[in-house]
Amino acid sequence: MASITVKFYAFWRAYLGLDTLSLEAADVGQVMAQVEEKFGAQLRAKLQALGIQADQEIQDYCLLLLNGHNVSRQSLRQVKLRGGDVLHIFPLAAGG
Amino acid sequence: MATDATDTEVIRFIDKFKEICVAPDGKEYPVISLKVARLIARESRTSTKEVESMALEQGVIPRRYLRNMGTIGREGEVKLLRSVVGVIGAGGLGGTIIELLARQGIGHIIIIDHDRFAEEDLNRQLMSTEGHLGEYKAVVAARRVKKINSATSAVPVVEKITKENAPELFKDAQVVVDGLDNLPSRFLVEEACRNLRIPFVHGTIAGFSGQLMTIFPEDEGLRSIYGPPGELPERGIEVGAGNPSATPTMIAAWQVQEVIKIITGVGKPLRNRLLILDAREGTAEEIKLRSEVSQKDARENAD
Repeated sequence: MASITVKFYAFWRAYLGLDTLSLEAADVGQVMAQVEEKFGAQLRAKLQALGIQADQEIQDYCLLLLNGHNVSRQSLRQVKLRGGDVLHIFPLAAGG
Repeated sequence: MATDATDTEVIRFIDKFKEICVAPDGKEYPVISLKVARLIARESRTSTKEVESMALEQGVIPRRYLRNMGTIGREGEVKLLRSVVGVIGAGGLGGTIIELLARQGIGHIIIIDHDRFAEEDLNRQLMSTEGHLGEYKAVVAARRVKKINSATSAVPVVEKITKENAPELFKDAQVVVDGLDNLPSRFLVEEACRNLRIPFVHGTIAGFSGQLMTIFPEDEGLRSIYGPPGELPERGIEVGAGNPSATPTMIAAWQVQEVIKIITGVGKPLRNRLLILDAREGTAEEIKLRSEVSQKDARENAD
């Protein structure tokens, strides 16, 4: 288990009402399970109110960067954590 | 192409018609007006761009660039006038990018967009007006460039960007700027820029926030943020959140500053740093990006 920081950005911050979260986890999969449990339903309700289809887990509609590098959604369990790691979570924004 | 004889004639004209202008800080600059630059161009059968470039090289500032002098200087302005910039997308981001590049004095702008203006664009796309609905965005934007700055040339390309046409379209560009609205096209343009060995200024928006980063050919670029191409959906939260009027300009203005820095060599481009601007929360934050290789190495060395 490692003590890590989760940082939310943009919409996620506004919707969840917080910008950082400290938690204990061994891998990114465990972090996302905790984030999902705490905020999943709340976030989906907000997104659905905006007309965005969001019936999956949080990681399926956001970007995850561990210490400044993308974490593939397929490898969340394989990415082990160390104390002090920072996981950045933000919505996928592709507009122009 | 101006001959040596024309050059001499242009320089003689510049010398004859230059005046002294006192800037707000009390500094005196030899200047020429737009009217004079056009007159010399006509008399010497050359372009306004050529006359303005030569004036700058002679230490004479075209009045229109006086307020650029304190930041990029005369040498910077000459570099801009002699540069070519590609803008992919002439919508929300692209419209503002094109407008500012023309005002700053970029020599030539390649404007690529296959779409036409619709009513839904009016809230935020700078080049759209009620009178331009239904017209091609790239064509309207190129016309606007001409109206803003007769020394800036612009070519509209009404084509969808593809793997096949991208290398040819960008081959003369020194920088390409992102005004796209989907991820797959961004990956495609990044790849083309990498092969051409030119930087790509990436920007994206959704709702009240947006983000940007400058990618040089040797940087890991989009993958460090989005992962491998194809893993994420084409579009993001902007589909529901939309884009209010000021968000595209907020990010586009930063992207233009990146272009200016890259071409003039002034300042520090946003390389391997993702800048996230959130107008709703009133925050500007930077995420330092790390290449996958360096991250793996760090992990393995520590274990």
